[in-house]
Amino acid sequence: MKNLMNGACLALLMSGTAALANDSVMAEIAKPQQWAIQTGDYANTRYSTLDQINKDNVKDLRVAWTFSTGVLRGHEGSPLVIGDIMYVHTPFPNNVFALDLNDNGKILWRYQPQQDPNVIAVMCCDTVSRGVAYADGLILLHQADTTLVALDAKTGEEKWKVVTGDPAIGETNTATVLPVKDKVIVGVSGGEYGVRGRVTAYSLADGSEVWKAWSTGPDEEMLVDPENTTHLGKPIGADSSLNSWEGDQWKIGGGTTWGWYSYDPELNLVYYGTGNPSTWNPSQRPGDNKWSMTIMARDADTGMAKWFYQMTPHDEWDYDGVNEMILTNQTIDGQERKLLTHFDRNGLAYTMDRETGELLVAEKYDPVVNWTTGVDMDPNSETYGRPAVVAEYSTAQNGEDENTTGVCPAALGTKDQQPAAFSPKTNLFYVPTNHVCMDYEPFRVAYTAGQPYVGATLSMYPAPDSHGGMGNFIAWDNTTGQIKWSIPEQFSVWSGALATAGDVVFYGTLEGYLKAVDAETGDELYKFKTPSGIIGNVMTYEHGGKQYIGILSGVGGWAGIGLAAGLTNPNDGLGAVGGYASLSQYTELGGQLTVFELPG
Amino acid sequence: MTSKTTASLMAICVACAAGAIAGTALAQTTDPPPPAQAGAGAAAAVSGDAQQQQQAADAPAEAAPAGEEEEDLEVQEQGGKLVLPNGQDITPDHMENGRWYTAEDIPTFKIAEDGTVDYSTFSGYRRYSAECHVCHGPDGEGSTYAPALKNSVLKLDYYEFQEIVASGKQDVNTAANLVMPAFGTNKNVWCYIDDIYVYLLARGAGDLPRGRPGKREDKSDDFTAQEDSCMNG
Repeated sequence: MKNLMNGACLALLMSGTAALANDSVMAEIAKPQQWAIQTGDYANTRYSTLDQINKDNVKDLRVAWTFSTGVLRGHEGSPLVIGDIMYVHTPFPNNVFALDLNDNGKILWRYQPQQDPNVIAVMCCDTVSRGVAYADGLILLHQADTTLVALDAKTGEEKWKVVTGDPAIGETNTATVLPVKDKVIVGVSGGEYGVRGRVTAYSLADGSEVWKAWSTGPDEEMLVDPENTTHLGKPIGADSSLNSWEGDQWKIGGGTTWGWYSYDPELNLVYYGTGNPSTWNPSQRPGDNKWSMTIMARDADTGMAKWFYQMTPHDEWDYDGVNEMILTNQTIDGQERKLLTHFDRNGLAYTMDRETGELLVAEKYDPVVNWTTGVDMDPNSETYGRPAVVAEYSTAQNGEDENTTGVCPAALGTKDQQPAAFSPKTNLFYVPTNHVCMDYEPFRVAYTAGQPYVGATLSMYPAPDSHGGMGNFIAWDNTTGQIKWSIPEQFSVWSGALATAGDVVFYGTLEGYLKAVDAETGDELYKFKTPSGIIGNVMTYEHGGKQYIGILSGVGGWAGIGLAAGLTNPNDGLGAVGGYASLSQYTELGGQLTVFELPG
Repeated sequence: MTSKTTASLMAICVACAAGAIAGTALAQTTDPPPPAQAGAGAAAAVSGDAQQQQQAADAPAEAAPAGEEEEDLEVQEQGGKLVLPNGQDITPDHMENGRWYTAEDIPTFKIAEDGTVDYSTFSGYRRYSAECHVCHGPDGEGSTYAPALKNSVLKLDYYEFQEIVASGKQDVNTAANLVMPAFGTNKNVWCYIDDIYVYLLARGAGDLPRGRPGKREDKSDDFTAQEDSCMNG
């Protein structure tokens, strides 16, 4: 029980803290029968206390019902369940369906926004959407064209809408939104179009803008206090961003905010990460490029930054820092601390004190990661907190027009956005990962508004001298920085995980399998092949006293681009032959929700 | 080339885009026509019935992104010349400003017997991988939603290829949401459009394996001069 109480998710459920945050969100998250937020809870643990489906009976799981979304492209995110209604979203055109769980999933209402299809053309890497949010009786949908719309959860009627970006200059949206208190916080995509990243808070009541915090630029536009906003315990100082760029490059410098958001109601801090600096050619942007590639902690009311930590200064590999920040209360080095754990694209897993921004652990969560020898953990060192870059794999040191080969991980990272889960019962994180390396050749590009601004050529292939597959599903101890177990997968694991009190962990695979494994050992307990590859996130809910597991199928996304044709293999003879097989031999497009149950 | 032939080729090109969603779009004959189409698409929508049916039958062949189920179209040798299925000659004839051209002044690739590619083809590999790869997949092989361009260039002629890249194209209806942007104002694409074309041609012709070309000619002064003038112009 003591372990159980360590879980931040449980701490957040305690009624005493509810008044601090959005009451309706807290109240709905607190009901274990529901899936009220994409991330499972504000802490992003993706843990459910439901235990009817457990490691002994999960082998009997069967399909209860299915629902076709009518859309073919990549399906990320998951449905929500609030009360007796399930809310299912789709990729562009971003339709929303409200399904009546009391009437066999009958469609109560559908919302079909009209969007200019030209937005599709400026979406890097498929037209995915990571789902809707719920607050105060509203379903919040952030469309691909950056329209944020609030729908009446009961009727689907539009309450208000506001446009948060401009697709004409490459600003689009793929992420879900975070409702906090009387606000809803949104990000922006478009790092491959030179978009300048920011997060914006809108009023939940009417959609009016409350605050906006840019990732780059002048201090006042970034909502930082040079004296009190810290980086590893020290004030960031004046003009911290402007000093780290050459000229006006920061204006088209990326640092977009398309990942997940978490929130600690006690500290009143919102956590998220910023994406890659633009362009992918590092020679065109000398300097540390602050604050791209940065973990940010901001006050939910004002947006003011409390602390930053830049993981990959002067990125040379497109290792966006947008992956989720998972908030837990755990014992580390004998001390109970409020932790933030983050599995970065760069292949390092960071454990930090989320109150102070102190760096506690930074270790590779895939042994093949080779671009760095590790992070300088000595607070007295000049390079404290910086990763030591290996010259051989430095695309900046090798320079423009030079092909840097054998860099691990590839640009899609050891993990992309597909979120990990945390179980307070095992104190382990369950992490979907990529096991892919790359060659990277940067070259000069010109900027044109609304046009791709990439500046590098990549070729990717399964990690050499390994099991031949392109993914692993791992269990991670964030206090010691060690892999507890690792399940090799033929393809990248591009599905968000779910951990439950039934001692089962669920995830999906690109071939389309929903898999259930033992939370302690990783032993496979169940698998079922759904109609299409899975890049969605597993969720669970209870209805009529029965626990269900839900997953969206529908292959696509970043994974669908490279893997559909099979990745290039420059190292013939290495690894298993099966690893190079192309995904299109296993699955086809098609959006579908599959819901599982136990018999009886 | 007659205007009729042109329309037919454009129609194929739409089939090609729709094919990226596995041919299902074409099977749904009751669907209303797409609400918005770029020039090439509009031409296809009014082409002859017999033609359309033929293309519908052909579509699945182009559907699979990886191109492993279907037979790739073949480049034929006719009287000592390399000819595409659409009749276009792709035999390199002369070099100008650092790029190879056919006798009809259409850009083309030249690969030596030891596999050394001309610089333009190499440049095309790089630019394709930066600008086109995020939708069309690595090495011109296609993705889950965008067609394999290594096949498309065997059916389109050079001018149609240019038109689509410059103006973009759309196939948006109840079954498909396929939109290609217009790249006519993007120097990173347009200054290298011939390079991208000849790279895809070399891929489609089967003369260039997947991945980064192993050996290449050096960049010539002529090529550099033209590149500078286009990128800085």
